[in-house]
Amino acid sequence: MSERNPKDPENPVLPGVEEEREVTLGGPERGLAEVFEVPIGPIHPALKEPIRLTFRVRGERIVGVQIRTGFAHRGIEFMGMRQGRNLVQVLYLSERICGICSVSHPIAFTQAVERAAGIEVPPRAQYIRVIISELERIHSHLLWAGVAAHELGFDTLLHLTWRVREKVLDILEELSGNRINYAIPIFGGVRRDITPEQYPKVWEAIRYYRGLLEQLLDAFLRDPTVEARTRGVGVLERKEAEGLCAVGPTARASGLRKDVRQDRPYLAYSDFQVRAITPKDYGLTPVGDVYDKIVVRLLEVGQSLDIIEKALENMPEGEITSFPKIPALLAHLKKAEGEGLGWHEAPRGEVIHYVRLAAGDESLLVWKVKAPTYSNLLSWYPMFEDQEIADIPIIAACIDPCICCMDRVYIVRDGKEEAWTKEGLLRLSWEKTRRLQR
Amino acid sequence: MRADEILRALTASLGEKLRSYELRPREVGVRRKWTVEEIWAEVEREAIPQAVATLKALGPLHISVISGHDAGETIELLYHLAVGFGTEGGEVMVNLRTFLPKTDPTVPSICAILPGAETTEREKIEFLGVDFPGIPCRDHVFLPDDLPVHPWRRDEPELQEFLHRMVEWEKGHERTESQGS
Repeated sequence: MSERNPKDPENPVLPGVEEEREVTLGGPERGLAEVFEVPIGPIHPALKEPIRLTFRVRGERIVGVQIRTGFAHRGIEFMGMRQGRNLVQVLYLSERICGICSVSHPIAFTQAVERAAGIEVPPRAQYIRVIISELERIHSHLLWAGVAAHELGFDTLLHLTWRVREKVLDILEELSGNRINYAIPIFGGVRRDITPEQYPKVWEAIRYYRGLLEQLLDAFLRDPTVEARTRGVGVLERKEAEGLCAVGPTARASGLRKDVRQDRPYLAYSDFQVRAITPKDYGLTPVGDVYDKIVVRLLEVGQSLDIIEKALENMPEGEITSFPKIPALLAHLKKAEGEGLGWHEAPRGEVIHYVRLAAGDESLLVWKVKAPTYSNLLSWYPMFEDQEIADIPIIAACIDPCICCMDRVYIVRDGKEEAWTKEGLLRLSWEKTRRLQR
Repeated sequence: MRADEILRALTASLGEKLRSYELRPREVGVRRKWTVEEIWAEVEREAIPQAVATLKALGPLHISVISGHDAGETIELLYHLAVGFGTEGGEVMVNLRTFLPKTDPTVPSICAILPGAETTEREKIEFLGVDFPGIPCRDHVFLPDDLPVHPWRRDEPELQEFLHRMVEWEKGHERTESQGS
């Protein structure tokens, strides 16, 4: 993959990425003039798949980054379109696109198919889908917050956040039978009801999180070390976020009020009048740095609690699916013809599924999946620009939490490769925190 | 942003190049009903950048993805764009459909107008063999750079054979790696 060089007109740098600064040779800056390559990966610091990030560094500063994805491309769309699976089997496949937001893809996919096949979803099923997806948002944001704390060298906070997160996983297990891969949506409704006996447990979890949210905000946002490590780090300016079509908390931290639940309501979301959260809601001017991304994600935990609370209070009565029998559903889908688009605001941003069905065919004719990280990939270029090596883990993590899958880091110096491990890079990040604390 | 405003602007700007359009409203909400509008339009391929520029002038523009499909003689591309985020229910999904002949599967890139389209355009290069003149980078996003086939094309005679070879290669590769370590 070619490097984006600002001086090469055929391979220009992305907008918002500053031109490489000229450094005068000689004098005290002599050592800084040398540019080294730091390849990281193929690993998955942030995406659902392993990724290779090759940094060009001058001294401690990053002057260029090259991103290569695709090391674990599974060809899920191909499997769904071309290998003769019926739609219920493809639904199972869509649930396995992502392990963390495992209800987001089925929600978008079922909506696309329902739209193409003209299937109605009963009101109660719409509410259940909303409740499960908001519970998932809480677990995903808390998972991320814990990982972010770990990257900064705050393991106490990591353990606190993940202990707190267990409660929502228990509730998801209670409602669906699983901690992840809930298998809740099906075309025309949901597979499991939320029964009145289960309500008190959900209410108890809401009260538990309400009591803890202020403490979490306090632990993350009013801590001078967290602020020193995340303020001004990994900045994505508003204009860049808009031009690069960033989505989810990444875009909202830059001050864009962009949330699919608000912009294009779907399912029962218009009942809850969701408003996209930006750092302004916490009394801050949006900068677009890592700190702002923490603010947005933690406030969204509170927002999800509000939505679940309203949904439980106003839960409609009635059926949970318009097709209680799978053979009838499959027969209907086989006859259906048309195209449809389904979307959902996953914890990381907009998910889109496009499907086209052909009459007489059990499988899909066309299926296109767009995950949130696909849209946020380009945002990494301006975020990494002119940052320190020690900040790589937290910047990579500010999009998604899988930084600790980082395996190999090499520093190429005069043709010699110096191997680093994930522990080494993390240690560098932790040492920076300790230094700042002194 | 309202769908009819967008349609008026597109009709005025594209004229004949806007071949057809359709408005597909959808009712959402249980207790608070809301209509979300979707525009599905077919435009000539040369007019894609002009259509995107027209949409960008109307309000904040977002590209979700470009869907692609091998439609036999042609390759069909569907640009899923959204205009007007930032207000409740204010965003309209605009789906622009265009057909490219297989003899010349090219369509002008929209990256100069909307830089965020780069990933999805690059993905279409590797999966469908479409070219986007003007794209700043042609590197593959997901597939190996030297892959000789475009997996979403239905006229790839070697695809099945290639997939088989790839599986075999991976098995062999794993063996070599484990021996090496």
